[in-house]
Amino acid sequence: MENKPKSACETCSHFNAEGLKKLGVRTVDFDFVIALAGNPNTGKSTVFNALTGLRQHTGNWPGKTVARAEGAFEYNNQKYKLVDLPGTYSLLSTSEDEEVARDFILFGKPTVTVIVVDASRLERNLNLVLQILEITNNAVLCLNLMDEAKRNHITIDTRILAKDLGIPVVPTSARFQEGIPELIQTISELANGKIQCKPHKIKSIPKNIEKSVQELSTAIEKEYPNISNSRWIAFRLLEGDTQIIEALRTGKIANNEI
Amino acid sequence: MKSKINNNIERIIALSEELRWQIGDDFHDNLAESIYADASKIVEDAVIKDNEKAKFRLDAKIDKIVTSKIWGFPIMLFILGIVLWLTIIGANYPSAMLASVLLDTFLPILKNTGEALGFPWWLSGFLFDGVYLAVAWVIAVMLPPMAIFFPLFTLLEDFGYLPRVAFNMDSLFKKSGAHGKQALTMSMGFGCNAAGVIATRIIDSPRERLIAIITNNFSLCNGRWPTQILLATIFIGAVVPESYSSFASLSAVIGIAVLGIFFMFFFSWALSKTVLKGEVSTFNLELPPYRPPVFWKTIYTSLIDRTIIVLWRAIVFAAPAGAVIWLISNIYVGNESIASWTIHSLDGFGFLLGLNGVILLAYIVAIPANEIVIPTILMLTVMVTGIHGGVGEGVMFELDSVTATAAILKAGGWTLLTAINVMLFSLLHNPCSTTIYTIYKETNSLKWTVIASVLPVVAGFIVTFLVAQIWRILIG
Amino acid sequence: MNYSPITALVVFFGVSILLFFIFRPKKGIFFLVKKIYQQKDKTIIEDILKYLYHNQIANNTITTNDLTNTLSFSNAMIIESLNKMMDNELVVLEKDNYKLTTKGNEYALQIIRAHRLWEKYLSEKTGFHKAEWHERAEKKEHELSVVEIDKLSSLLGNPKFDPHGDPIPTSKGKIAKIKRGVPLSSLKENTIGKIIHIEDEPDIIYKQILAENIHLYSTVRVIENNTTRVIFHSEGEQFILAPIVAGNITVSVLEKDEVKEDDITRLSSLLLGETAKIIGLSKECRGENRRRLLDLGFVKGASIAIDLLNPLGDPKAYLIKGTSIALRKNQASKILINKNKNGK
Repeated sequence: MENKPKSACETCSHFNAEGLKKLGVRTVDFDFVIALAGNPNTGKSTVFNALTGLRQHTGNWPGKTVARAEGAFEYNNQKYKLVDLPGTYSLLSTSEDEEVARDFILFGKPTVTVIVVDASRLERNLNLVLQILEITNNAVLCLNLMDEAKRNHITIDTRILAKDLGIPVVPTSARFQEGIPELIQTISELANGKIQCKPHKIKSIPKNIEKSVQELSTAIEKEYPNISNSRWIAFRLLEGDTQIIEALRTGKIANNEI
Repeated sequence: MKSKINNNIERIIALSEELRWQIGDDFHDNLAESIYADASKIVEDAVIKDNEKAKFRLDAKIDKIVTSKIWGFPIMLFILGIVLWLTIIGANYPSAMLASVLLDTFLPILKNTGEALGFPWWLSGFLFDGVYLAVAWVIAVMLPPMAIFFPLFTLLEDFGYLPRVAFNMDSLFKKSGAHGKQALTMSMGFGCNAAGVIATRIIDSPRERLIAIITNNFSLCNGRWPTQILLATIFIGAVVPESYSSFASLSAVIGIAVLGIFFMFFFSWALSKTVLKGEVSTFNLELPPYRPPVFWKTIYTSLIDRTIIVLWRAIVFAAPAGAVIWLISNIYVGNESIASWTIHSLDGFGFLLGLNGVILLAYIVAIPANEIVIPTILMLTVMVTGIHGGVGEGVMFELDSVTATAAILKAGGWTLLTAINVMLFSLLHNPCSTTIYTIYKETNSLKWTVIASVLPVVAGFIVTFLVAQIWRILIG
Repeated sequence: MNYSPITALVVFFGVSILLFFIFRPKKGIFFLVKKIYQQKDKTIIEDILKYLYHNQIANNTITTNDLTNTLSFSNAMIIESLNKMMDNELVVLEKDNYKLTTKGNEYALQIIRAHRLWEKYLSEKTGFHKAEWHERAEKKEHELSVVEIDKLSSLLGNPKFDPHGDPIPTSKGKIAKIKRGVPLSSLKENTIGKIIHIEDEPDIIYKQILAENIHLYSTVRVIENNTTRVIFHSEGEQFILAPIVAGNITVSVLEKDEVKEDDITRLSSLLLGETAKIIGLSKECRGENRRRLLDLGFVKGASIAIDLLNPLGDPKAYLIKGTSIALRKNQASKILINKNKNGK
């Protein structure tokens, strides 16, 4: 447990404002790919705009971003390409936008996945967060809309949250640009391997199912010893996800090895 | 080596199928429940919520009012009315200004430049009287209302009021197999159908989304309001005593818009009972908390995102249309121009619908943009009747005075029936090409694009036909 | 010109009526012609196989007359098909009674598999109404090839049961065992049971059951049972059925100590100001709808209350996991809850 994730407050002082350049849509020659995921209506696009300096329209209305938007920024001489994924409640269903989001996290190999959540509705947002943490190891939780949470008298202990989730947590109010420097700093530390994550894995699964999941994930790991999300693939296989079965057959899953 | 790996993978897949059979159908439920169980544990750990204070939210109070039995609908209608009124009235002045700059100032300058450069008459006619004129018209008529409508709509959207409208209206839409959110895409359609079609992205159920896309054209868009108002003023206002005339023409225009809503409901119902029966249908509507919109940023982004994009597409389509209009009225086959030949062949069918060949041809060439229907009708009428008016043979024009416009139309054989049927046909005809293109891009299906394009025009033929026959039987 | 508006109208309505008779659903000429075209040997043979299979399970003997009387094909076609089937060793004739051979039995199971899988597919992946599943599957079962059936099964996650609660045979002809049930009409007063099957034939009775909104796998408690009517409670609602209708609902009787939750009600019965805990989603909530609700947090144990009523009555907005989600009444009726007793 040496690599305990740090909460945002410990890292924010390192932010180097001089080193930040918002690059808008110029997404060529990047060093890292950052995926931006989250529930609909959590201000995900606002975070995207705050990071890239773009002005993609965001409505107070679930499900505005349907297509994938891309932007970029530069920090400490490293270029980050940012991909704004469609807002989804989950990655378990089969709707088009969920597929786009899931495929990118799974096959697009983002260096870091930023998960934007609504601080005042954390429990429901965690549904998606826990699913993403089953797929990828390198993630940061952007606890957005802190202003609204405050207005609703909700207090969140970000240290405990970071410990429970096993990833860094950065509180932000993207509409007012609050917390964005800390977020950038955390992204850069994750991308450069300065922070190691030990993401939470889903625990409360009924025993008989857990047994099947383990049997299956062991079989997958035997085939691909380096795969990090064998449990998640087992979930999908048990659900009969034809796309994942296909990806397994064609070896696309194998490219996912870390 | 490779085949061995594949065998192993097939074994894994076979194992998964075997396990799946053992677990039964509840895997998904169990997984979802487990995730939420973990989530509530984490939340218990990390979140402190002051429930007592949280109850007295301003949000809850606003919600109570905007969804109340007494105030819910009046507030909604009031806001929609204000938005439309601001758009239509507010757009008049900038529209007139743009028209005078683009048509009265720039056009002569361009023509003079052409002359100075020694352009032959046909090149100058083609470029300036055709392409430039159509584009200028579309900008003048389209830009101001959009620049007012979209920001207003976006402000409401950002505030969070629109989901409440969908909530209030849902049971009406449910009856016709549609989604409450269609109330919004329909309202957006009053601004521009292409934008309305794009807005259907907020509907996440495939069947309801297709319904919303196909029926969006029944919302009378900005490009069609001026036609309605002009014709209602000339023909319907004239039937009643003068003191009531503006009231009568206003009612007629609103009546047409309401009729459009009726058709929207009717076709939504018909579609969901027939061709769209098998599409997956789900409903869930999240009511987000209210958020004060960031005013200037909203205005800016809505201008960039919606207005400019839609306008650009319209211009792209209007330019070739202008060219076509100029060409058909200036290319002669024998003694007749193509336009006048087409008009004569369409006259019979037009008569059956209570319209005429000029109107039908105008709607064919004006597919790119509804805004140029009236200028095209005027030009073609002058050309066919040979009366004096406008700026010259085969050039679109619009007149400042309503009386002069009325004189030309009446000389073209227009009666009250013609006017009513043109108003109906303006509501019920194929979407403009920008919208057709947008429908194709959004549905990615030729089939739905064709249905969405053909359905309203067939409805228009039937309605105008029936009105014409009944009118002739009863009134003569 | 011999135009008169009346002639024009007459011609118009004439053409409309003509088109109506050609294209109207089911009885239109277009559909009749299509149906005749589709009545191929294969369809008849497969329908005979299915009929024989079901009757063999029920220990009925079947003669030629039984077949010609029940199946809606011409007698000549049925007899011709029976001869073909005997040539191909699908059936044998024993003392005027037809019996399936092993080969015939296997074939019949494949058709039943196709039928039930297609019903499952319609229930999970399309928006067709329940009342249409059976009829569509009746057509589709003859069109699917074995490879297509296996693909379909895999796509659906190799389900064990169809949406009516009938077991789906596997590709090897294995059938999951179902609990022995009894018709609801045979239950004595005050007995508790669980609905395990709702028969979809005949159509008239099935539609009556559908109209009542009775849910598969719900627990029922019989209140009154006599020759004129069966009254029972289920999910907090009361239902009254004619005995002949109740006879098409199969239940498995539960012992008193097996019954865990007696006070389950539907979310649609929750009133403003009341709070409740979610017990789970009814099995009638299917496919995309079910997954969506689970994603939104309508899971076992979650607390729920009404957030907003609607000026027109439907939908209502529910407060779940800190978010306000509007649901229509028919969705809310498929979410089962346990109301918190002491008000809050």
